[in-house]
Amino acid sequence: MTDGDYDYLIKLLALGDSGVGKTTFLYRYTDNKFNPKFITTVGIDFREKRVVYDTQGADGSSGKAFKVHLQLWDTAGQERFRSLTTAFFRDAMGFLLMFDLTSQQSFLNVRNWMSQLQANAYCENPDIVLIGNKADLLDQREVNERQARELAEKYGIPYFETSAATGQNVEKSVETLLDLIMKRMEKCVEKTQVPDTVNGVNSGKVDGEKPAEKKCAC
Amino acid sequence: MAHEVDLESFKELERDIILRVLYRDQTVQSIEEERVRNLKTHLQHLRWKGAKSSSQEYKEKCCARCQQTLGLLLNRGAVCQGCSHRVCSECRVFLRKTHAWKCTVCFEDRNVKIKTGEWFFEERARKFPTAGRRETAGARLLQSYQRQSSKISVVPPTPPPLSESQCGGSPNRLQELGHFRGFNKSVENLFLSVTTQMRKLSKSQNDMTSEKHLLAMDPRQCMGHTERRSQSDTAVNVTSRKTSTPDILKAFHQEDPRHPPSPVLKQDTPPSSPTHSTVFSGGLRHGSLISVNSTCTEMGNFDNANVTGEIEFAIHYCVNSHSLEICIKTCKNLAYGEDKRRKCNPYVKTYLLPDRSSQGKRKTRVQKNTLDPTFEETLKYQVDPAQLATRRLQVSVWHLGTLARRVFLGEVILPLATWDFEGSAAQNARWYPLRAKAEKYEENIPQTNGELAVRAKLVLPVGPRMLQEAQEDQLALNGQLCLVVLGAKNLPVRSDGTLNSFVKGCLTLPDQQKLRVKSPVLKKQACPQWKHSFVFNGVSSSQLRQSTLELTVWDQAMFGMNDRLLGEAKLGSKGGAPGCTDSCSQSKLQWQKVLSSPNLWTDMTLILH
Repeated sequence: MTDGDYDYLIKLLALGDSGVGKTTFLYRYTDNKFNPKFITTVGIDFREKRVVYDTQGADGSSGKAFKVHLQLWDTAGQERFRSLTTAFFRDAMGFLLMFDLTSQQSFLNVRNWMSQLQANAYCENPDIVLIGNKADLLDQREVNERQARELAEKYGIPYFETSAATGQNVEKSVETLLDLIMKRMEKCVEKTQVPDTVNGVNSGKVDGEKPAEKKCAC
Repeated sequence: MAHEVDLESFKELERDIILRVLYRDQTVQSIEEERVRNLKTHLQHLRWKGAKSSSQEYKEKCCARCQQTLGLLLNRGAVCQGCSHRVCSECRVFLRKTHAWKCTVCFEDRNVKIKTGEWFFEERARKFPTAGRRETAGARLLQSYQRQSSKISVVPPTPPPLSESQCGGSPNRLQELGHFRGFNKSVENLFLSVTTQMRKLSKSQNDMTSEKHLLAMDPRQCMGHTERRSQSDTAVNVTSRKTSTPDILKAFHQEDPRHPPSPVLKQDTPPSSPTHSTVFSGGLRHGSLISVNSTCTEMGNFDNANVTGEIEFAIHYCVNSHSLEICIKTCKNLAYGEDKRRKCNPYVKTYLLPDRSSQGKRKTRVQKNTLDPTFEETLKYQVDPAQLATRRLQVSVWHLGTLARRVFLGEVILPLATWDFEGSAAQNARWYPLRAKAEKYEENIPQTNGELAVRAKLVLPVGPRMLQEAQEDQLALNGQLCLVVLGAKNLPVRSDGTLNSFVKGCLTLPDQQKLRVKSPVLKKQACPQWKHSFVFNGVSSSQLRQSTLELTVWDQAMFGMNDRLLGEAKLGSKGGAPGCTDSCSQSKLQWQKVLSSPNLWTDMTLILH
């Protein structure tokens, strides 16, 4: 894992209230194991994972495969570590905004976390995936799926109901966030290049080979 | 940047954990930097292939990338809009989604931007222009911490990583310089080139290499460009010269942030004392909310019969500052504060019994939604060593529900008389099982609110005639009781360890007549020494035998609030109730001595209740 044989380094960051399951979620994603014991995170931590990302062509055919090195930052949800964790928001390319489906308060605090993100992330509209964790605890559920989906649509972000205990939707949610980041990556680079239409027109001219385009060398 | 995080503000154990994470991140970043260097080197090699063709002067028309000769009619080549070079059809890369194309170097340049994360740093630089371009929060934190540590001279500085980053930076800048010469880029590249020139001036060795690159590239430009191209190059040079002036100003601005770091380091000392004063001011705030807190405390919900779990804390007594410190660490396996909703927002509250006033209350912050909370908070009391033996520490855990509703979750009561503060084992935290609210407390230890030292004398007139004295005594009551209130100690002090205390005296005569006196207020003293005389005129010894003297000690409140009763003591016939303790009987004997020995001072130490 410590070698540099990868094509992209992508940094993701998990945030949300204390106790919603950020650490267990990332542990399930990286090691595919579940730790039921709650050990509060001290300040900041990260895990790493190497994944293969397949680019999709416009016609749906499989494109080139890239090796992506994920650095998954885990933050402490407690208030006293807030100044430390928000400093790391700036380095993250995508965010996993998590709340606890068995805790109405953690769902209400999603708005506060969104404000923190808009203030501290690298741009005004970073890529975010909203995650309602502990979906396996059906008898203790407090947050309605319709409420959460409405909030996600309001912010224009995807929403997943996950369970770190069962692994439900864990990989799918991270892959969705990674896909959003890769698409944004290509868009950003295209903007800084020369406009496509100019090259396109030039390409048309080359195909035509019209004699009128001939120019004097001097 | 505005919120510079200080790792010193965390506990040592937490700081170690965070630093370990930062060092791991440093390893990841160094691997990434190595990879980025390799990518940029590879891109530079592609550009050099194009540069070689310019040296062959005899081939005027050839592909700028693969050096193949371009034909006159067929395969005449086309100009890439990205780099303005003429390339053959083999050196074009068509983009997937559109019909546009780029030459191989431009396409590779695009890929390098994606793979090195340049897209991300460009976006971030728009929002945070002052932040370091590729610098991470972890690296910045680590540098600031190591800088502070080097000031403390605990951890030595680490020059090798800095030198490595500088060595790594120079080739990148040179590559970008070549890149700039080859392409018409945006204004951002102009800044990059200006920065490169600034660094070039400061490094003499790199100047030779740069000049070689310039000399190598100039012939190609003369051969390959038309007259219009030359004019545009001249304009670019003019623009770069104009840009250099603001860059010098930027250099001055960059120097300014270097000065603030030293004041920041100087400010390391002041934050500690404000923190110290905050602890005391917090106590004062508690005092100002006496009635509200009392109401909330009394209305606490004790119906929760299911008390489970344990609490871990340590008790430490600082002899120098007379400070008792309770370090509340964690709890585990608590009961739910609200069973139906399975909610628990625990916090810990402590009292030094028998003082149950809000001024004696200390509590931690609320931890949300956890049965195993971590508090890591230290609660402090100002207590004299002599008074510790008479106190009991009550540590109780509560759940904060909606609308400030409180649910009792369990408590621990420790008598401090048997606590061994000297032993080193007492310094460590221990686990205590939480228990339900006890209905009756142990009353083995007498509850006392301090001691009051007084001196009393009964003054009677002495006449020459026995008969006349007897007659005058019956007719005119001209006796006098003098009581000097010397001082008090072990009073229940405020949270800041001080009192504004005074003494009231009330002498109740047999005919229910009350004589009241009051002492002046001594401000901000825990052990006040009033030395104030109370004089009760017109009394006789026969009357005093049937009278009651009541002395009360008060803490004066501020601005119209009610004074706080600290303790009281009674002397006289009514004070001798049956079943009284030894201290009461002792004071009764002393009072008898005052009455039976007129004109003689008697010292007494009264126990306040």
